[in-house]
Amino acid sequence: MAAVMHGVLLAATATGHASLVDWGTFVVAAAIVLSGAIGVVVARNPVHSALMLVMTLFGIAVLFVLQRDDFLAAVQVIVYAGAIVVLFLFVIMFLGVDRDENIATEPLRGQRPLAVALVALGVTGLLLLGEVSKWTTGALSVAGSTDSSTSNVAQLGTSVYTTYLFPFEVTSALLVIAVVGAVALARRPPAVVTAPDPDDELVDESAPAAADAHQEVTP
Amino acid sequence: MSTLLFAAASGAYGAKIHTPHIDYLSILPILIMMGGAVLLVTASSLFRQVMGVGSATFITVGTAIATLVAALFQWDHVVTHGAKVTIAGSIAYDGFSVFIQIVVAIAMLLTALIADGYLKREGIDGPEFHVLAMLSASGAMLMGSANDLIVIFLGLEILSIALYVLAAFNHKRAESGEAALKYFVLGAFSSAVFVYGIALVYGATGSSNLPQIADYLSKNVVASNGVLLAGLALLLVGFGFKIAAVPFHMWSPDVYQGSPSPVTGLMAAIAKAGAFAALLRVFVSSFGTLRADWQPIVWGIAILSLVVGAFAALVQKDIKRMMAYSSINHAGFILLGVQAATVRGVSASLYYLFAYMFMVIGTFAVITVVARDGDSGHQLTDYRGLGKRQPLLALAFAVLLLAQAGAPFTTGFLAKFTVVAAAVDIHSYALAVIAMASAAVAAFFYLRVVVAMYSPVGAVGDLSDLDAGELDAGPISVASPANAPVSVHGQNDAVASLSVLTEGPPTSAVADRMVRVPGLTTVAIGLSVGFTIVFGIIPGPIVDFAHQATLLFT
Amino acid sequence: MDDYLPILILIILGFLFAALSFVGSAMLAPKKRPTAAKIAPYECGIVPTIEPPTRFPVRFYLVAMIFIIFDIEIVFLYPFAVIFRQLRSFGLVEVLVFAAVVFVSFLFLVSNGALTWGPAKQLVRAMPSRTSESTIARITAGPGGPGGYRDPSGPGPGGTRTTDPVPPITGDPAAPAGPVRAA
Repeated sequence: MAAVMHGVLLAATATGHASLVDWGTFVVAAAIVLSGAIGVVVARNPVHSALMLVMTLFGIAVLFVLQRDDFLAAVQVIVYAGAIVVLFLFVIMFLGVDRDENIATEPLRGQRPLAVALVALGVTGLLLLGEVSKWTTGALSVAGSTDSSTSNVAQLGTSVYTTYLFPFEVTSALLVIAVVGAVALARRPPAVVTAPDPDDELVDESAPAAADAHQEVTP
Repeated sequence: MSTLLFAAASGAYGAKIHTPHIDYLSILPILIMMGGAVLLVTASSLFRQVMGVGSATFITVGTAIATLVAALFQWDHVVTHGAKVTIAGSIAYDGFSVFIQIVVAIAMLLTALIADGYLKREGIDGPEFHVLAMLSASGAMLMGSANDLIVIFLGLEILSIALYVLAAFNHKRAESGEAALKYFVLGAFSSAVFVYGIALVYGATGSSNLPQIADYLSKNVVASNGVLLAGLALLLVGFGFKIAAVPFHMWSPDVYQGSPSPVTGLMAAIAKAGAFAALLRVFVSSFGTLRADWQPIVWGIAILSLVVGAFAALVQKDIKRMMAYSSINHAGFILLGVQAATVRGVSASLYYLFAYMFMVIGTFAVITVVARDGDSGHQLTDYRGLGKRQPLLALAFAVLLLAQAGAPFTTGFLAKFTVVAAAVDIHSYALAVIAMASAAVAAFFYLRVVVAMYSPVGAVGDLSDLDAGELDAGPISVASPANAPVSVHGQNDAVASLSVLTEGPPTSAVADRMVRVPGLTTVAIGLSVGFTIVFGIIPGPIVDFAHQATLLFT
Repeated sequence: MDDYLPILILIILGFLFAALSFVGSAMLAPKKRPTAAKIAPYECGIVPTIEPPTRFPVRFYLVAMIFIIFDIEIVFLYPFAVIFRQLRSFGLVEVLVFAAVVFVSFLFLVSNGALTWGPAKQLVRAMPSRTSESTIARITAGPGGPGGYRDPSGPGPGGTRTTDPVPPITGDPAAPAGPVRAA
């Protein structure tokens, strides 16, 4: 077990020899990740689950830092811990904070043993592949080694803003599609009739769009 | 504080990063298409009150034409100056990419013309439809000129995500939402598979850039190529989903049936054009050295698509479902050219894509107008007696269907002929025979529609009190009375001629009444039929065009 | 080891903040906590056996989605912030183009009212000056007057304003339109 841990740690640190601080950080972060992950599953209150998820994600961010992956660590915190979990909380708050989940019953029969089996299979597969396979791989990285003096955020930035400049710019179109698509889909179906609202019958001719827009929220 | 900042700034100034040269000409059509969409979003946001469907159509048609002109200019430039790779290797600027840009631009133009009448009829307001259609088209164009797996993936996503939303665009039809949900879930899944394939290929070759991958594969003999082949297989699955090839076709009948008809036409035309373009570039050009590995799989997929497409279409009652299976069948034909992986095969595939684009959009234009208000009349019975009621419309539809079946003197015949010839060229005789047999089977269901159109309506008899005036008023748009005047406004002389020529006795059943063909839709149908016949009789120019595009393939 | 001093300080600060939050809320919060019975939907002893089905306007999800979309931009801006000096004007132009395109979608959202909350506010905007004078003017103008009547039973947006020239006087949607037409 200790040998495995040591191996994991060696893999986790880029230098190859782990210092005491690296070791300590890894252990603490791993403990945070694992306890957070268990907490997500075990917590009865969905809000606590979400907060446990934040804890897990922070732990993973620390592990990323340990691997000298500053960018992923930052994105992990900003996007996942920041945005995605906020979204989760948003939905949880909607559906009722005080709703306790009864975790004794299984909505899908046999999903727990199946989950355990699948995880075991996956881990075994990974270990076996790492040991057995000798698949050819090409060069390690297109943006250069991460072991250089410049920070890897800078390297990534250089890559995104020079080599992958065009894909980067095109991504903006994707964001426009997301916004326009969301609005188009969230728009109230035109033929559906809402209950007559006493305030709703006078509409200024000059602002039909605004008047249309507000009706969506009328429950 | 400011001095500190300045000191830090001057310290960091040292190493200037080498920035790539941007060749704007090589991405001009894409820029115009995306720019048009962004312009339309801006205009509609700022002038919301005055922007209706008409002005959105106007901007869209203008953008599509500008894109087409830019692409033709590019063609001229590529022919004289040769192909090249631009913008840090992410864009391939060659005849092949320009060909795809032209196909997609025309598809967008025709769709904008058809969608105008459709949106007005269905009472769908706002510019979102056109914005999403244009962005979707730009995604297809991006896939055509992508030279990097990442760019292909981005193009794929832009193309698909916009199409997911467009599929759900008709709020009034529950099928529309259902189609969008199915398309979205399965499409997102296939995108994930595709991006996994990219990751594996990148791992195996150390690059996501197509020429670099080809370079690596030609210089290195990959001894244990499990990762590479797995990546290749996943890429093929991702592409297979987008082109709706069997066994990745499950989504297509439901989605084709549920989506608004103009969207189905656009989907069939540009998703196929974009995905096939990327498929050809990745497999024929980058993984050409691994031909022996992927050719048998493509062979199998092609046969499955040909057979399943043809036979499943036979039993369909809903014309849009039938067209979905027919498009699966067409995908099988185009795969013939991919499987050949020769210059002849690629040029045959390109020609097929071009011809198919006109045929399928024209077909769905007719389906759009025949479906009437609510976009619901898609049963085969809805076409009964169309030949008597509206002979011109029926004739146009017959021509488009026969072209899809591969009747001589249409582009459809030549398209099928060239791909089969390409297959014969590399001695895939079995494939060629199966393709021809499936074409014969497919002809049967296309003819079924044609026969239905020219057969009399079951029970005529009961002449009702409907007079010509009521007929001219068009379908009763229950849901949107305010739109009726707008639609009438959109009619022009061509429509009038279409209407005048129809003298069928009006009957009581709504299904037997004339359908109104909006002016712009008439133009689109006319263009489709014209192209299909003119270049079917004079095949030279387009065949040469496709061939030349392939020769300029990097 | 000196390198880790800031981290230590940060950890201490973190604990302090958390502790202060707890102490602060304990000191400032009202002492009377509502019991489960008090916050129940029916405060009369009836315990709901099933959760009532709740429906939310899709608008809420829209806002959540838009939040994510704009948050994703950070992923691109963070590396840019690190190397923007080396990229010089080239990088600035790149990011400005990107930001401009995304800003257009923001503009679209605002103009669509996707970020405007609640029906009441919008309605005030929809009829800016409804004074007694304007009402009189509207009635006297008769058919084709400036006011439009939104038929509550008619179809919704999408060119739905009927041209029915019936300005309601009382503001009651059920008021018959007959008298006005007769006038």
